[in-house]
Amino acid sequence: MNHRPFEDWLLEDEHLSLQQQRELQIHLRSCTTCAAVASSNLALHSKHMAVPDPGFTERFRPRLAEWKREQLRRQAIGTVILVLAGLGLLYTLAGPLMIQAVRSPATWFSQATSYVVGLLTMASIFEQVGGILFRSLTGLIPASAWGAMVAASGLFALVWVFAMRRLSRAPQGV
Amino acid sequence: MKDESALVTQAQHGSEEAFTQLVEAYQMHVYNLCYRMLGEAQSAEDAAQETFLRAFQHLHRYDHGRPFATWLLSIAAHYCIDRLRRRRFSFTSIDEDDDGRTMELPDTAAPAPEAEAMRREERERLQGYLQQLNSVDRAAIVLRYWHDYSEVEIARTLNLTVSAVKSRLHRARRELGTCWQEAGDRNAHARRPHESPAF
Repeated sequence: MNHRPFEDWLLEDEHLSLQQQRELQIHLRSCTTCAAVASSNLALHSKHMAVPDPGFTERFRPRLAEWKREQLRRQAIGTVILVLAGLGLLYTLAGPLMIQAVRSPATWFSQATSYVVGLLTMASIFEQVGGILFRSLTGLIPASAWGAMVAASGLFALVWVFAMRRLSRAPQGV
Repeated sequence: MKDESALVTQAQHGSEEAFTQLVEAYQMHVYNLCYRMLGEAQSAEDAAQETFLRAFQHLHRYDHGRPFATWLLSIAAHYCIDRLRRRRFSFTSIDEDDDGRTMELPDTAAPAPEAEAMRREERERLQGYLQQLNSVDRAAIVLRYWHDYSEVEIARTLNLTVSAVKSRLHRARRELGTCWQEAGDRNAHARRPHESPAF
């Protein structure tokens, strides 16, 4: 028996013309397979919505309240842990310095000043070395290579921006 | 109900009252999907409640350009699919009616009780066969027939391509048809021994 058009019509659940409907009805009388698909399609079309027991929203309210309480509890625990960890870190890193500052302020001040001066000197050295390197490199690298590097950087930035926009799009569904 | 978009905006700003109105409006849609997916009234109730809770939790992610119902049903469908994957085996309660409450006997005083009983029986059969489908196929069928979603909407809801939805619907209809036929054959075999040899 040639199921082909009839089975396809049923499985695609297509809208049929009157002529097609007549042909299908004739086929269904002799084909149990297609008749079964037609019956299940018919049952699917006669949908019957399931409804929750009355008071669904009233049952939801306490659940939401419980969830909010749980969220608050978690936030509180998180905050306490964060504060304790911050205090611990501060004590470990800055504790000796603070103790020293309290015991001998003059020594502490001179050490802090020398540390800052050291940092500034380091920055100045880096600036000078960088300047020398830049001047020598600009002489060594041809203009076309600079152009290619700028174009590649631009392309990279474009790809990065595009990727970030795609990744940061708000996901739907949870 | 007030304007849906306004309610969603209010709920996004933390209004529980606005969100409760949305729950009131969409409870049947969400519950029906969960019930068709899970096959049990209690599980469906729990899944529907969880869906609304997740929706409230992630309301800031909702895109106003998309229908709210689609977003909600997407959450419900994914939750049910996950739950079914964890459960692996689905159980269908035989003492529950299609609408999720305890089964009632057909009212003999009602007009055409036999027709009503037959319709009820067909609905129960269909619900049973739905449980035999793959969970994603089942979600596609429920969204298509119970919620009148187009293939494009189903694709968006289930994060599938339109061609994948078409092929899943096609496969699901075939499987339902096979179940229907097998049940018909079993009934025919079961009837035969009681039939008179004269026939």
